[in-house]
Amino acid sequence: MQLEKFTYDNKIVRNFGIATIVWGVIGMTVGLLIAMQLFKPGMNMGSQYTTFGRIRPLHTNAVIFAFVGNAIFMGVYYSLQRLLKARMFSNALSAIHFWGWQLIILSAVITLPLGFTTSHEYAELEWPIDIAITLIWVVFGINMFGTIFKRRERHLYVAIWFYIATFVTIAVLHIVNSFELPVSFMKSYYWYAGVQDALVQWWYGHNAVAFFLTTPYLGMMYYFLPKMANRPVYSYKLSILHFWSLIFIYIWAGPHHLLYSSLPGWAQSLGIVFSIMLIAPSWGGMINGLLTLRGAWDKVREDVTLKFMVVALTCYGMATFEGPLLSIKQINGVAHFTDWIVAHVHVGALGWNGFLTFGVLYWLIPRIYKTELYSKKLAGFHFWIGTLGILFYAVPMYWAGFTQGLMWKEFTAEGLLKYPNFLAVTLQIIPMHVFRAVGGGFYLLGAIVMTFNLAKTMLKGSLQANEAAEAMPLAPVMTETNPMDQKWHRVLERKPMKFMVFSLIIILIGGMVEMMPTFTIQSNVPTISSVKPYTALELQGRDLYIREGCVNCHSQMVRPFRSETERYGEYSKAGEFVYDHPFLWGSKRTGPDLHREGGKYSHAWHFNHLLDPTSMSPGSIMPPYPWLIDQKLDISTTPAKIRAMQTLGVPYPEGFDKTANDELKKQAEEIIADLKQNNIKVKSDREIVAIIAYLQRLGTDIKANKETIPSNQ
Amino acid sequence: MFEQLKNLAGREYYLISSLLLFMVFFIIVSIYLIKLSKKHISNMSELPLKD
Repeated sequence: MQLEKFTYDNKIVRNFGIATIVWGVIGMTVGLLIAMQLFKPGMNMGSQYTTFGRIRPLHTNAVIFAFVGNAIFMGVYYSLQRLLKARMFSNALSAIHFWGWQLIILSAVITLPLGFTTSHEYAELEWPIDIAITLIWVVFGINMFGTIFKRRERHLYVAIWFYIATFVTIAVLHIVNSFELPVSFMKSYYWYAGVQDALVQWWYGHNAVAFFLTTPYLGMMYYFLPKMANRPVYSYKLSILHFWSLIFIYIWAGPHHLLYSSLPGWAQSLGIVFSIMLIAPSWGGMINGLLTLRGAWDKVREDVTLKFMVVALTCYGMATFEGPLLSIKQINGVAHFTDWIVAHVHVGALGWNGFLTFGVLYWLIPRIYKTELYSKKLAGFHFWIGTLGILFYAVPMYWAGFTQGLMWKEFTAEGLLKYPNFLAVTLQIIPMHVFRAVGGGFYLLGAIVMTFNLAKTMLKGSLQANEAAEAMPLAPVMTETNPMDQKWHRVLERKPMKFMVFSLIIILIGGMVEMMPTFTIQSNVPTISSVKPYTALELQGRDLYIREGCVNCHSQMVRPFRSETERYGEYSKAGEFVYDHPFLWGSKRTGPDLHREGGKYSHAWHFNHLLDPTSMSPGSIMPPYPWLIDQKLDISTTPAKIRAMQTLGVPYPEGFDKTANDELKKQAEEIIADLKQNNIKVKSDREIVAIIAYLQRLGTDIKANKETIPSNQ
Repeated sequence: MFEQLKNLAGREYYLISSLLLFMVFFIIVSIYLIKLSKKHISNMSELPLKD
């Protein structure tokens, strides 16, 4: 057989690389802006398009799907071609994948500030964009598998297993978490409600971390770290064990996001056990990475790419140690809803994802441009300012998190809450939020310096768009000497489709064991007879609550702690959420929980509070919402929304869609009459009336008939 | 700490069967790894350095 000559496509790698840098800087800048909004509400800029609730999802989507997403594709397209000794399957599919992904990101940049959101965290994009994501993901899959099929290297290196697992799992997660019933263009309701919706969302949310922020990066680590250190991975056997254990265990751990919530107890326990087990494969991977540098630590002193990789792996180790720790109920009870979680997430995001991306960029860009890095000094500066940035970010946020967790739970000797006013805790941690923004600023500065350094590098060299390579074609028949070579794993390594199906089965087991009982056994969600569907006005108000992203700062889940029932009222029951499409439990309490908000304050209080929060709560960091008073409520959507809810099983009477708007207007007039008595003049067709109606309804159903309510167990 | 795992309301079988599933899977992968040839492992780990 003769050597075959072919070329590697470096242009697509370069394109994804540039997209990574550009979106990274944009996403981090938005992050810095929202960080400043949390101590200086004026930074909301008085516009609905720049308020925290709407642009916080923009930050998370930009850094996860734009920065990390493009970095994944950059790393995969570079390493896949070289590990398989083949050019990407199709130039056209590569281009469709690249431009399609950028368009999806652009659509997120436009729609999220406009308030088009599903409210599911890290899955906020509305249904037309969800369909686009599915199509582009399939294009990526075809391109990847097409390349695997035409490979010149028979065995698939472990990095490629991680890429395959990423592809198949993200596809499953995205589809299952996107079961939405479209109401109109850019508005939909989730198929599931309440507890079930929460379980699906956090099964998705947790595994998006696992299979978007972790497995593709582990694949990149297993390829780029040996390249940078010029030595093979410490233990290939450990990498196999790492891979199978990680993908098996990760999928079960989602319920740790819902501890002490209304989720059935057994599902919470399952989540805890598998979360604690997860430390083993995670640390196996980290140790495998760090030990790859054995005997090469002198290189770490010299080589900035290795410095970034070492910090990335260390942060991965810290975050994956802390994750299981936070899954233990006693710790979760204090940490959940606080800044501790924000610190935890950012150690992973800034350290593991960010630093690994920077390391790969510094290594890869000079290579495909056939030149040297423009400035090693600037890269060194980036490393140190970035590391300082992580520290300045994480330490104050841990401090803030502990402070919140402890102050919320502190009682006086008389048995009363020591800080009954939620705002007292918020004001206490403002200095920490200032430090956090400084840390974020350092980190962003580092990224900007990198952008300059890499742009100069690109200008200095010239892109080798088609890099020449040669390799032997695959022999048609394999001759194996060792009988074990014929065994299942060796076969799987050679049969990518079987490998994918096997990985799929492994990840489906966990999801099915967790979800099927919750979906099929009726008794898992106890029904409460006094819980009734929302009125038409409340439903419209709820959609405004979703549009404004209130869920980003306010939870709707009173946990069964005395500190919470004293502060908020009766703890939340699973049966209260059966008509909630989607659930709005939230994951962070920048402001207080709102599940028992109904009837707590007058309509006038809510009106004034939404117009200017500081008028009712001096010192509040909540942004004002004056546009809710100016903007007319769009009631043309009411009939379609009612019909959609009926399709989803909400028991509105037949024909209610036709009379819903009459009842809506009647309820609005009642609220207006009440406001008038408090000298507040506002038209009854304004958005603020609907959102007041919704807030006043929250948690009031079970107050009527307390003794007939089943507990969560 | 283990108290929190006992509160399963008669649904222990979910937890026990899940752990059993993982145990079986883990043992299969471990047996395979022990039996794997050194030559193959060495070839595989060298792959990134060969391109």
